[in-house]
Amino acid sequence: MSYSGRSKLFQPDAESIQRSRRTMMWFIPIIIVQQGVFIFRSDADAFAQLFGTLAWGSVSIVLVWLLLGLPLRWVSEEDQAILNDEWNRSISGEAARWGIAALVVLGCGMMVARIWYPLNAGLAVYGLVNGALVVASCRYAWLNRGEPDEDE
Amino acid sequence: MNERLVNRLKERRTELGMTQAQLADLCLVSRKTINTVENCVFIPSTLLALKLARALEATVEELFWTEADW
Repeated sequence: MSYSGRSKLFQPDAESIQRSRRTMMWFIPIIIVQQGVFIFRSDADAFAQLFGTLAWGSVSIVLVWLLLGLPLRWVSEEDQAILNDEWNRSISGEAARWGIAALVVLGCGMMVARIWYPLNAGLAVYGLVNGALVVASCRYAWLNRGEPDEDE
Repeated sequence: MNERLVNRLKERRTELGMTQAQLADLCLVSRKTINTVENCVFIPSTLLALKLARALEATVEELFWTEADW
């Protein structure tokens, strides 16, 4: 009896993961906003809450993995080194700085806005966290856009 | 007066008949890193500069130097 290797689907290499980082990052803000609306809607039943929480957890794990480069056991050490190389760490750091800046600006904006509008705590947290996440992931996607041609 | 880092990475790489992908594999970095270093978009760490110099059979000083940026 022989054991066959895992299919490529479950054995991504550095190249395929980088391609996903370039092409899929734009979707993360959309998913965050969509699932936020889904979770925070007033008429959500238990199933909707559970589904929303699972979706929220999945996106959070993906973001943490993208930003911190958490090790994946099926990625070789060489691929891991490539995925967490200097350029990738640099743009993750830059994206995180934009996220923190967004947090500060949004927080300040909310403090000013509450002079005229009552501030709901849940919505404020939702706005702050997701605003920062959206800005950070958009910045990451922008910096990591398009694989350059060879020698471009 | 500011100084900026410039390099002759691309010239040296083409002298050796190497592609960006091959150089990236030798240094265990992504091709984007090589591309951005070559285009002076990204300043590499000392460690990466040493790896690049080793892979391109040159010294760091031969590959990188600074220029006045007026």
